[in-house]
Amino acid sequence: MPLPSLDDTIAAIATAPGAAGLAVVRVSGAEALAFADRVFEGAPLVSALGHTLHHGWAKWPAPGAEGLRLDEVVAAVFRAPRSYTREDVVEFSCHGGSVPARRVLDALLTAGARLAGPGEFTLRAFLHGRLDLAQAEAVADVIHAESARASELALSQLAGELSRRLRAIDDRLRDALAETEARVDFAEDVGGVEVPPHVRAEIAALAEELEAMLAGSAFARAVREGVHVPIVGLPNVGKSSLFNALLGESRAIVTAVPGTTRDRVSEAIELHGVRVTLSDTAGVRETDDVVESEGVERAIGTLAGAACVVWVVDGSQPLSKADRSLGERLARARVVVALNKADLPSVTPRSAIEALIPDAVDVIEVSATRAGGVEALRARLAETVGGDPHAALGAAVANARHAEALTRTAGALRRAGAVAADGAPGEIVALELREALAACGEVTGEGLGEDMLDRIFGRFCIGK
Amino acid sequence: MSAPTTPRGLDLGPAPGVPVEALPLDAEAASHRSGHFDVVVVGAGHAGCEAAHAAARMGLSVALLSVQIGDTAKMSCNPAIGGVAKGHMVRELDAMGGLMGRITDSAGIQFKVLNRGRGPAVWSPRAQCDKRAYSAVMLDVLVATPGLSFVAGTAERVLIAADGSAEGLELSDGRRLMARAIVITPGTFLDGVMHVGERRVPGGRIGEHAALALSRCLGDLGLERGRLKTGTPPRLHKGSIDYAACTEAPGDEPPRPFSHWTERLELDQVLCWTTHTNAATHAVIQNNIARSPLYSGGIQGVGPRYCPSLEDKVVKFPERTSHHLFLEPEGREVDEIYVNGVSTSMPEDVQLEFLRTIVGLERCEMMRPGYAVEYDFVLPHQLDHTLQVKHVPGLWLAGQICGTSGYEEAAAQGFIAGVNAARRVRREAAFVLRRDEAYIGVLVDDLVTREHREPYRMFTSAAEHRLLLRADNADERLAEKGHAIGLLSDEQLERVRARYAAIEAEESRLSRVSVRPAGETGRSGLTARDWLARPEGSYAGLASLQAAPELAEAEGEALEVRIKYRGYIERQARTAARAAAAESMALPEALWSGDLRGVSHEGAEKLRRWRPASLAQAGRIAGVSPSDVAVLMVLARRSEQPASAGARHSRA
Repeated sequence: MPLPSLDDTIAAIATAPGAAGLAVVRVSGAEALAFADRVFEGAPLVSALGHTLHHGWAKWPAPGAEGLRLDEVVAAVFRAPRSYTREDVVEFSCHGGSVPARRVLDALLTAGARLAGPGEFTLRAFLHGRLDLAQAEAVADVIHAESARASELALSQLAGELSRRLRAIDDRLRDALAETEARVDFAEDVGGVEVPPHVRAEIAALAEELEAMLAGSAFARAVREGVHVPIVGLPNVGKSSLFNALLGESRAIVTAVPGTTRDRVSEAIELHGVRVTLSDTAGVRETDDVVESEGVERAIGTLAGAACVVWVVDGSQPLSKADRSLGERLARARVVVALNKADLPSVTPRSAIEALIPDAVDVIEVSATRAGGVEALRARLAETVGGDPHAALGAAVANARHAEALTRTAGALRRAGAVAADGAPGEIVALELREALAACGEVTGEGLGEDMLDRIFGRFCIGK
Repeated sequence: MSAPTTPRGLDLGPAPGVPVEALPLDAEAASHRSGHFDVVVVGAGHAGCEAAHAAARMGLSVALLSVQIGDTAKMSCNPAIGGVAKGHMVRELDAMGGLMGRITDSAGIQFKVLNRGRGPAVWSPRAQCDKRAYSAVMLDVLVATPGLSFVAGTAERVLIAADGSAEGLELSDGRRLMARAIVITPGTFLDGVMHVGERRVPGGRIGEHAALALSRCLGDLGLERGRLKTGTPPRLHKGSIDYAACTEAPGDEPPRPFSHWTERLELDQVLCWTTHTNAATHAVIQNNIARSPLYSGGIQGVGPRYCPSLEDKVVKFPERTSHHLFLEPEGREVDEIYVNGVSTSMPEDVQLEFLRTIVGLERCEMMRPGYAVEYDFVLPHQLDHTLQVKHVPGLWLAGQICGTSGYEEAAAQGFIAGVNAARRVRREAAFVLRRDEAYIGVLVDDLVTREHREPYRMFTSAAEHRLLLRADNADERLAEKGHAIGLLSDEQLERVRARYAAIEAEESRLSRVSVRPAGETGRSGLTARDWLARPEGSYAGLASLQAAPELAEAEGEALEVRIKYRGYIERQARTAARAAAAESMALPEALWSGDLRGVSHEGAEKLRRWRPASLAQAGRIAGVSPSDVAVLMVLARRSEQPASAGARHSRA
C-alpha cells in the first residue's frame, strides 16, 4: 500500500471540478519550480521571486512535442515557507473547464511530479506546521472528504465497460504473477522453466491491451500526436480562402510542416490544445482544367489517416455532378461540411447536403471572405478531433489518476516482458509484475494480499 | 534385526528421543528444581531451545521447562532443516548467534543447496539430519550454556502480578518458577488431538500427552484462540524397502555447511531415494475417502495448503496420476524411513494398503502410521513485534502457538522472544528486525499484522524486498546486530567484516582486469567485472579467461550475485529505505482508544483490533486505505502533544 511520502513533489487540480472561469493546477515540493519551468513558456520560474505572477503558456514537456502549447496561463510562484504547504509551490491558473487544467496537470506529471493523494496538500500544510494542532481534526476531515469524493469517482463506481475490462486485466495480471511466483517458491513442485512461454505471452498481451486502452481515447492520442485534417472540395469553392481564414483566426500557429511553408499548403494550428495539421488539398487547387474524376481521386487520397475532413461546398452554386460524386465518396469519412459563400444568395441549402451525406458531423454555413461562421467551424473541428474528453475517455481512461496509474502498469509489464525475454530469474520478473499489480491496484483498489497464494494452491499441487 | 511389525495402535512407545540414561545432566535434580530465575522458557522444542539459549548467552539465569528432557529439539515431522525461505531464516539466526544452523551442521547427513540453477533469491540450503543426533547435540550445547538450567515438569498456569504483568509459572506438581519474563512455546500440545482414521487420541505428538491446563490458563488470560491442523506421514522400516526399484537422490558433493561458523562437517553423508504414487495408490485413497477424518468431518482445524495430505492431493488434483515421494532416513542408527509426500490421516490399514501399491514399497512395513493433529493457537494480532502478549507484559509466545508451522519458523520466533525477554529484564529497548532486514522480520510482522487462515509458513514471496534477503548475505545483514545484542563475539564480527572486505577488494580488482571472452574480437576494454555482469558470466568461469578467481567458492558466488543483480538490488534498496522511513513513524497506543475522526469505518475497526505501532504497520493492515494512513499521520501528530495551545485559537 502506498504511504504518503513527504519528500517528493506532488501536483493536482486544486479547484473543484465543473464549469468555472478559472481552474488552478497546483504543484508543491522541492522540485516544484523546476517541474513548473518544464511546462511553462515564459519567464524562468526557478529564478522568480516568491509571491509573483507570470503570464505565459503551458506547454507539453515531452521530447518531440516541445513547443506544443496547451493553454494560456498565469503562473503564481510561492517560495517555501511562505506558501500553502510551506514548500515551494507554483499555481497555474488555466482557462475554465476541466480540459485545460487536466492537460496542464498531465504535463506536470510527465515532467516528474507525482499525482497528489486526496487532501495531500492540506496534509503537508499541517505536517509542516502551517496549520496548528487545533486544526488537526479539520485536516482529517478534509482528507476524509476528498478521499470519499475520489472513491466516488473511482473504478467501482464507474459503470460498464472500463470497469469490466480493468478487472479482467487485474485478474489476468494476478494469474501471471501467481504462475511466476509458483515457480520461484515451489520450483520442486511445479518444475519447468522459470517464466514459461505462455506466461510471457500473457504479459505481452496485457501490456498491449493496456496501451491500447490508454491510446484508445481520441483525446489522449490527439493531445499526444496531433491530428491531420484535410480540406477538400472542387476548384473555386473557396478552399484556400477558408484555409487562410482558419489559420488567420487561430490564436497560435505552432509549427510549420517542413517544405510546405512557403506555399502554405499545409499548416499546423492549435485548437483547444490539440495540434491540428490542416492541409489544403494540393493539386486540386492548382489544376483547374483537370478532369473532374481525377481531382476527386486526389482528394480522396488525402483522407487516409485523417481525423476528419472539411468538405467545402459553394452554397451560392447548385451542386454539380462532381460535387455529388465527391460527396458520395466522402460519405464514409467523418465530414464537417463548410457551406461556403454564405454571404451570397443561397442556392444549395443545408438540407441538400444533409440529404447527400446524412452522417456528416455538421454542416456549417461560412463566409471565408468575411470570416463569418469560421469561429463556429473552428469550434466544431476542435470538438470533432479532440472529442468531448469525458465522452471519449469514458470508453478508455478518463480519470487522470487512473490514466497515470495504468501508464505505470503498462510500463512495468513491458519491463517484465523484456527481462523475461532476456532469461532473467523468476524473482526479477516477479518484481516488475508486482510493481505492475501495485499500480493497477491503485485503480481497482485491490491489494496484493493472500490472493496470490490462493491462486498458486488452486492451480498447482504444492507440497510433498 | 528383529522383524518389524505393523503397529496396531498409537501407544506403541515413543518415537526416538535421547534415553534418560544418556542425558548429559542430572534428570532427578531437574525434576525437583524450582525458585527464582530471570527468564523461564516453557517447552524445549525448536522455539524454546533458541529462546533459552539466547537469553542465557545474554547473561541471564534461565529455566528451560520440559516434560521430557530427552525430547529436547525433537524433529517431530520431517528429518530435515532448511529449504526455500526456511533455509534463509536459519542462515539469519546463525548470523546473529542462534543455534539451528550449527546444530544442523553437527547432525546433518545430507546437504543440498536447492535451486542452484535459478535466481539468487531462492538459492536455499537444506539438510537431512540424524534426528537423534540433532537432539543430542542440542542438549549438549544447552547443558554447556552457563546460566541455563533444565527443569523437568508440566506447566499449569502463568502467575500474574498485581500490576498485570507475568511474574512466574506454576507447575502441575505445585512447584513454582518465578521470573519477570516467561516465554511459552508449547508446539502442538495446547489441547492437542491426534487423528488416525476414525481414532482420536488426545496428545500433541505420538505417545505424549496434551497440555490442557496451559490452554485453559491462556483462555483465562483473555487470549483469543483458534484451531489449526497439521499432519505427518507414516514411517517405514528401512529393511522393508526395495531400494533398487527407487531412484537415488544424493546430496551435494562436497556438502556446504549451513552455518557461517562451521569449518567442516563431521558426519558421513547418506543417500535418499525417490519413488512415486500411481493409479492403484489413488484408487485405494478414493475407495476409502469416507474413512479420512479430513473428509468425514472428524477434523475441524484448518490445515496448511502447502503441505496437503495425500488424500487432498488425490481429490483436488484428479488429473495428476502420480505424485513424487521422497524416502528420507531419520538417522544413521535408527530404523525409521520418513516418507515425504504422503502426509495422511487415513486409518492404518488404508495407509499400509496404499503404501504397498507404490514401486519399491510393495513389501514395506509401517513402524508408525501417519496422523493428523489438531491444536490450539493464539491469534497473533494480540502480540507485539517482540512476540510479547500486548496486555500481559512479561509474557511471550513463540512457535506453533502463534499459528506457524515448521522448525525454522519456530526457531526464529524463539530467538526473537528469548532476546526480547532478556532485554526486558535488562531494561533495554525492544529488538525488532524490519521486513527489509530479514525474513525473520517478515515472519514476525506478518504474524502480528495480518489475518491467518492456515498455519503460517515462510515463502520467499512473502518478502517484498527478497532480492536483499538472500541466504548468501545473511551475515552481512545481521552480524552487526547479533554482536550488538551480545550473541556474537568480537572475533566472529571481525570474520564477517573481513569476508566482505575481501569480496569488495576482489570486485575492485576485477574492475581493473581486462578479459577477452572466446570468440569475441575487436577492441578490448571489457573488464572481468563487466563480463561477470553478463548473463553468461560466472565467477568460476573467470579462470578460463586468464583472470583466475581469488575468492573461495561461497564468496565468489556472493560477489557474482552482487554484480549481476546490482541494478535490481539497488532498486529494492531504495524501496526499502522509503519503507523504513514509514516504519519509523510511531503511532502512540493512546490513539486507539481515542476518536479516530476522518478514518474510514472499516479502517478504524481494523486499527483498533491490531493497534499498529508504526505508520507502516498500519498501512499493511488489509482494510486500512492510503487516506486512512494520511489521517493517522495527522492524528498521531496531534496526540504528540495536547492541543491546548491551539485550542484557544480554534474558532469552535
